[in-house]
Amino acid sequence: MTTTLAGGRAARRQTMRRIRPRRSPATLLLLAVWAGAVGVLWMWWHNTPSIADQNGKILNAGRITGLLAGYLMALVVLQMARVPALERRVGSDRVARWHAMSGRYTLCLVFAHVFLIMWGYALQAGKTLSDIVQQTIDSVNQLPDMGKAAIGTGLFLLIGLSSIGAVRRRLPYDTWYHVHLLTYAAVFLTFWHQITTGNDFALTPIAKTVWYGLYGTVTALVVWYRILTPIRLNLRHRMYVEAVIEETPGIVSVLIGGRKLHRMGAEAGQFFRWRFLAPGMRLSSHPYSLSAAPRPNMLRITVKAIGDHSARLRELRPGTKVWAEGPYGALTSQRRTRGKVLLVAGGVGITPMRALFETLPGAAGDITLLYRANTTQDLALWDELAKIADERSARLMYAVNSPDGERPDISADSLRRKLPDIDNHDVFMCGPPGFAQSVYEALRGAGVPARRIHHESFEM
Amino acid sequence: MHPLKKNRPLRRIVLASAVTASGLVMLLALKPHTAPEIAAAPAPAPSSSSSASAGSGSSSGSSGSSGSSGSTTTGTKTVTGETAQTRWGPVQVKITVKNGKITDVTAVQSPSDNPRDQEINSYALPQLKSEALAAQSASIDTVSGATYTSDGYRQSLQSALDSAGL
Repeated sequence: MTTTLAGGRAARRQTMRRIRPRRSPATLLLLAVWAGAVGVLWMWWHNTPSIADQNGKILNAGRITGLLAGYLMALVVLQMARVPALERRVGSDRVARWHAMSGRYTLCLVFAHVFLIMWGYALQAGKTLSDIVQQTIDSVNQLPDMGKAAIGTGLFLLIGLSSIGAVRRRLPYDTWYHVHLLTYAAVFLTFWHQITTGNDFALTPIAKTVWYGLYGTVTALVVWYRILTPIRLNLRHRMYVEAVIEETPGIVSVLIGGRKLHRMGAEAGQFFRWRFLAPGMRLSSHPYSLSAAPRPNMLRITVKAIGDHSARLRELRPGTKVWAEGPYGALTSQRRTRGKVLLVAGGVGITPMRALFETLPGAAGDITLLYRANTTQDLALWDELAKIADERSARLMYAVNSPDGERPDISADSLRRKLPDIDNHDVFMCGPPGFAQSVYEALRGAGVPARRIHHESFEM
Repeated sequence: MHPLKKNRPLRRIVLASAVTASGLVMLLALKPHTAPEIAAAPAPAPSSSSSASAGSGSSSGSSGSSGSSGSTTTGTKTVTGETAQTRWGPVQVKITVKNGKITDVTAVQSPSDNPRDQEINSYALPQLKSEALAAQSASIDTVSGATYTSDGYRQSLQSALDSAGL
């Protein structure tokens, strides 16, 4: 069954409007976060008239780390609320990386807070550091909401340990994911002790209001965008598997049918998080990019069978219901700043590039696609790409290993030779991390400014 | 920073830790060691107790012995100081003076709204008492972690001493 490509032409027929790139709101967001942190620290400052001695210093250090941890934890959860402004403007992969970094930092603050506060309490009572364990047990038993906080902290420890690189690589993805979901419980449990036992909250009622507001907002956003919006999306569009096609050995395309799929607002270069309601696949959700421009009644994804989940896609039966969340991703034509575009795809990273190749507006010769794969056998979707290149006079290049297994030369020089005006191009990239890294360096060497290199990768 | 720029995780960790630690140290160091004068004066009793007579105008409705000398036998008297209102609650002390020396200090009122207050005062009050007895004045050190209680204690103690003419 051949897929029709006619739709792409329609998308391109729009005259090239003036290209106005949309700036990522990342800097603004970072500023807002810092402003919030300053506000939180001011709260502590305002409530602490003096610090008498060393003991007081330790106690207050515990309070500061606690306040910051409480503030940041709300933001950590917010980053994963799948807020469209973040997912589509900043980029899902970038937000996910921020989440990983801020999550690690916040957990460190949490553990520092626990240690310092308990030490401070012990010192206050005239005891020493060695009594800290006993002090902890006492405080957990006596102070309000500390039992919950203790359980929550234990969960944080578990989540933190499971996310350490070495541990995470050994866990099956789904196990890791479900442990990670416990974060919601941990945040819920540890929230209450902040309000009832926190020194700074007892003193200023407005602080309590602010805290409830912060956490309440984050909760509302999570419920809206992670629960309600996907329910609405799937009830409206009712997606199902229409067909499964083997493009090359190991690479499979899944055609998804449904109602009014174009109304989801998906753009080329974006992805959805897919959940196939088939035995053994119901519990896992995976992100796969669209490999063709969305049609009113069809979406296509193309997947390489690497993990145990993707291997099962081959056996999907037509008619299987599909639960999708999205569209997500910022690797779209909106990032473009120039007339000329170079698309670089490594391996299965061809997927979003194939969609962009079809729909990116451009005159003859403006669009170039460089496709890197191990062998010519692995150049999935090649026939379609050739056809598109032909139709729109775009350039199509490939780079594979030589028969002896030698890697192709993708360096600053070779890139400049192939595309003399490469420094005047926008570059969109997708591929495995090592590949993306080396191509990035080559591009920079060839004179492409960093802000014109657009890339998406989910490696953390 | 472009996501593809070589990220050096170790450098990031060191930087984050250093900034956090130094930020903490700086914040803690910038705070003074002693509390600024607590503006809230104790209960609006006219400090007419400049006169040597019984004067503790404690406006708290606590038990009758609002000040004054107990028995005058062998020069022992008990004087209750004014109630000092602190952030955490009222503090009021009662002193026993014998032959011009303070022989006992009791906290008649102390903050006790929540378990934390009680926990703090369980060790702070005895400490303040022994300091007061040692110093024989209201110039006693703040107990760490009980800033407000210590301040209130000092104020109430001073007013009691004033009333007792010491």
